[in-house]
Amino acid sequence: MKKRTTHLLLFAGLMALQPTAQADDLFAVQVERAETVSHGTIEHAVILIEGDKIVMIGEDLPIDIGIPVIDKDPGWVATPALVNPYSRMGLSSRGPSGLNPQRKVSGELYTGDISKSVLEAGVGTVGLYPAGTGIPGRAVAVRTWGSGDARILRDDVYMKAMMRSDSSSKKTWRKGFEEADEHKEKEAKNREKWEKDREKLEKDAKDKDDAEKANKAKEELKKPYVPLTPKPAAAAFMSLRDGELTALIGISKSSDYIHFLDALGEEDVQWSLHVPISRESDLFHVKGQETLKGRHVIMTPAFSYHPGTLRRRSMAAEFVEAGAHVAFVPTSDSTSAHESWLRDVGQLVRAGLDPHAALRGMTLSGAEVLRVEEHVGSLDEGKHANILFFDGDPFAATTSLEAVLMEGDFITGEVNR
Amino acid sequence: MIRFQARLVLALVALALAPALPALGAAAPSDDAGAAPEKEEPKDRYLVVVGADIHTGKGEVLRDGRLLAKNGKIVAIGYDDFEVPGLDYDREVPAEERGYELEIIDASNVPNGRVYPGMVAFSTSGLLGGGGDYRDSIDMFNRNMLLGLASGITTTGQSSSTAKLKRYVPNSAARDYDFDGVVIAGKTLSTVSWGSAASKRSLREKLSGAAAYLRAYRQWQIDVKKDKELKEPSKSGVDSTMLSVLRGETLARFSADYQDDLSGIAKIAMEYGFRPVISGCREGWVVADELGRAGAMAVLTPRTRRAKDEQLMAAGGSSIENAAILHSHGVQIAIIPGSRGIDLGGIAGRDIMHLPIEVGFAIRGGLPEDAGLASVTTVPARLLGVSHRVGTLEVGKDCDLIVTDGDLLHYQTFVQYTVVDGDLVYDKQDELYFAHIRPRDDSLLAPLVPFDPAEVPIEEEESEGDSEEEEAEEE
Repeated sequence: MKKRTTHLLLFAGLMALQPTAQADDLFAVQVERAETVSHGTIEHAVILIEGDKIVMIGEDLPIDIGIPVIDKDPGWVATPALVNPYSRMGLSSRGPSGLNPQRKVSGELYTGDISKSVLEAGVGTVGLYPAGTGIPGRAVAVRTWGSGDARILRDDVYMKAMMRSDSSSKKTWRKGFEEADEHKEKEAKNREKWEKDREKLEKDAKDKDDAEKANKAKEELKKPYVPLTPKPAAAAFMSLRDGELTALIGISKSSDYIHFLDALGEEDVQWSLHVPISRESDLFHVKGQETLKGRHVIMTPAFSYHPGTLRRRSMAAEFVEAGAHVAFVPTSDSTSAHESWLRDVGQLVRAGLDPHAALRGMTLSGAEVLRVEEHVGSLDEGKHANILFFDGDPFAATTSLEAVLMEGDFITGEVNR
Repeated sequence: MIRFQARLVLALVALALAPALPALGAAAPSDDAGAAPEKEEPKDRYLVVVGADIHTGKGEVLRDGRLLAKNGKIVAIGYDDFEVPGLDYDREVPAEERGYELEIIDASNVPNGRVYPGMVAFSTSGLLGGGGDYRDSIDMFNRNMLLGLASGITTTGQSSSTAKLKRYVPNSAARDYDFDGVVIAGKTLSTVSWGSAASKRSLREKLSGAAAYLRAYRQWQIDVKKDKELKEPSKSGVDSTMLSVLRGETLARFSADYQDDLSGIAKIAMEYGFRPVISGCREGWVVADELGRAGAMAVLTPRTRRAKDEQLMAAGGSSIENAAILHSHGVQIAIIPGSRGIDLGGIAGRDIMHLPIEVGFAIRGGLPEDAGLASVTTVPARLLGVSHRVGTLEVGKDCDLIVTDGDLLHYQTFVQYTVVDGDLVYDKQDELYFAHIRPRDDSLLAPLVPFDPAEVPIEEEESEGDSEEEEAEEE
C-alpha cells in the first residue's frame, strides 16, 4: 500500500513539475500526526495538496525536489476541518408549520452570511436546516465562506421533520406517504390511458383510406409519454422512498422516537435523528434500539442528568457505545459556541467518550448527514483540502489551533509557502 | 429454588396445554434455520409467577399458588404443574435459541409475598404523559407512569377512555411497542350535572323525553311485525346522552356531596330506572338506604374531612364510616385519593400513589377488606367498562398483576413487581425510587444481617400506627 502511494506521489510530482503553472498550486505539509478520521491515524504524515484538493496523504512520503514543503514535524497535528450539520447561522428563525417538504433553505441564502470567526474557528462546512414545525423543508450544505449561491456544496441534503408524541405529527408524516401513494396510483392510471390511446393511434396510423388521419396519428405517436407532475409533498416523499432524499427526524424525548417508528411503519427510508440534550434528557431509554445501529444522531456536546437525580450521564458516549454515529453540533449558532465547540466536545472526551468517535462526530459524521462525505469530513485523496493544524491533541485544553486551511488556502496561521 | 421447582414441574408434563405444542414445534425449526424473518411471527410470551400467595380478587386465596400467562392473558392459576411442553424452566437453553420468551417471577425471595390483581384507578392525571388520543400520544417512558406502576396501578380511567399503563418494557428493544393495547375502552360515563333548580328541571325533561321515546320505540318493535310499512319513531328532540344512559350504554355520572342532592339523585334514578354513579358522596352515609335501593355506585375519597352545615338539624358532614355504611346498604364503592396526579412535593400520602392508604381510611371506618380491595380493582373496572379484562385474576383475563411484600392494604407494604399484559414492567430493585427501602435479600442494597419483620415487637408497631391515625383524625 505504502509502496503504491509512494509511486503515485512520484508520478504526481513529475506531472506537477512539467507545466510550471501547476507547480505553483502544489505544496506539501509535513506534520507529526494526521487524524484522517476515515482510516485512522498517520504518524509523520505528509499531505500533498494541489489546488483545492488533497492529492495524497501518507506516512513519511518522499517529496520531490521543487515542491514547497511546510515542515511541522514535530509539532503539528492535522485533522479535517469541522462540519456542523445543523444550523441556522445568518438566517431568520421563522418558518411555517405543517407539511412543506418542498421548501428549500437554499432559497434563503441571500438573506445572510456566516461570520468569519466561525471559519477561523475551523468550521468549513455547515448544514442549514429549514426553520418551522411539522415538516418545514429541505436543508442545504454550504461552505462557511463566500456569499450567496456560490457557497452551496450540495442542495436537498435532508428533509427535516419534527416528531412529537402526538397524533398530529404522526399524521403529518403518514400524510406525506399517502400523497405519494395517491400520485403513484394516478400516474399508473394516466399511463394506462396513454397506452390505450396509443393503441388506437397505431390503428389509425395504418388507416389507408384516410391519409390525413393516418399522418396525424403518426405525428401523435412520435410524442413521448409525459408523466404527471406530482404535488410537492408527494414528490418529496417519493424521493424519500427512492433514497434520493433523506430525512432528519427532530425528537425531544424517547417516546417521540418510538412514536416515529410507529408512524414510519414498514416504509424503507433513510433517516437520521436530531436530539437536543436537555438537563434531564430521557433519551438513554432508546439507546438499545436495533434501529439506531449505524444511524446518525445529531446532538450538542452536553451532559445530562439521570431524571430526578444528580447522576451525570453522557448521552454521546452512551449512543456511541450503542453503535450509533454521533454527529456533534455547537451548543448554539453563536460564534462563541463555535469557538468553544472543540472544548465542549473535549469535556465529553475527558468524561470517557472515545476521542476518535468524538473527532468523527465533529467531521465525517456531520458530512455524512449532509451527504457531502465525498468532498469533506476526512483527510483522503481527492477530497477538499479543508484541514486544521493543532499544536497537540485537538481535545486537550492547552492545545491551540495553529492554522486553518480551506480548499487549499490558509485562512489563518501559515501563509508563507 | 427455581431449579428445584422446575425439575419437579418438568417431570410432570401435563397435557393441559397440548394445543400449544404444534405451535412451539413449528417455531423451533424456522428459528434454527435462521433465515425466517423475525417480524413475521412474534414469539410466544410466557410469564410464570411462583412462590407467593395468590389473591385473585374474587375472594379466593391460593397459598403458594402458581400463575401462568401466555401472550398477555392468564391461562392457568392453581397448584398443578400446568406445564407447556418444551418450556425450559431451568433456562438451560440460551434465550436466543428459544422459540419463545419466558419470564419467571420467583416471589419466594419476597417476604410474605402476595400476588394481587393490578389496581384500577378510576381517574388519574399525568400517568400516561400524553393527552387526547393516548394511542398516539402516550409517553411510555414517563416517570409518572413508572411511579404509578410502582404503586400498583395498571389501568386508569381518563377523561373519555380507559388506558393501561403500558410502559416500554425494559430491555425489549427487539419487540415492537404495542400501541394498540394502550386504550382498552372508550367512553363509558356520561357526566350529568345536578346543581341548580334549572339543571335539575332540564335533566328531568331530558329523561322523560328519552323514556317516552324508548316506550314508543318498544311499541314500534311490536307493531312493525304486523305492519312492515310502519315508520320508526323519530329521535328528533330526544337527548342522546340520556338515551344512552337509559339504554344502559353509558353510566350517568353525578358529582354530589350533600344529602339532599344525593337523595334527589337516588329518587330520579329509581324513577327512570338507571344506576347512578356518584363522585364525592360525602354525606352518603346519611341517605345510604336510598342510595342502596337506587343501585347507586359511589366514588369516594374516605380521607375527606368536612364538618356538617351548622344550620342542618340532621346528621351530616363527613364520616369515617361513610364507605362502610354505604357498602352495607349495597352501594358499590370505588375509592380514589384526593389528588389524581403524582405529587412529589408537599404532604405525601394523598396522591394517586397512595390508593391503598386511602382504602385504609375506609377500612378504619369498618369497610370489609374484600370490599376495600374491590374498591380499587373490580368496582372501578366495572365503572370503566373493562371488568371483562381487568380487576381480578382469572383465566382468560389480562395478566395485569402486582406482587407485594405483605397485605396490599397495609401502609408499610411495597409493590415489588408489576406486570402489565404479561410483561414485567416494574421491579422495585431495578428502579431507583424505592430500591433502598427494605431491599430484598437478593439485592445488592440488602443489609449484611437480614432484617426479619417478625422479630419486631408487634405492640410497638401497632401503637405507632394508632397514634398516627389519631393525629390525622384530630386534623
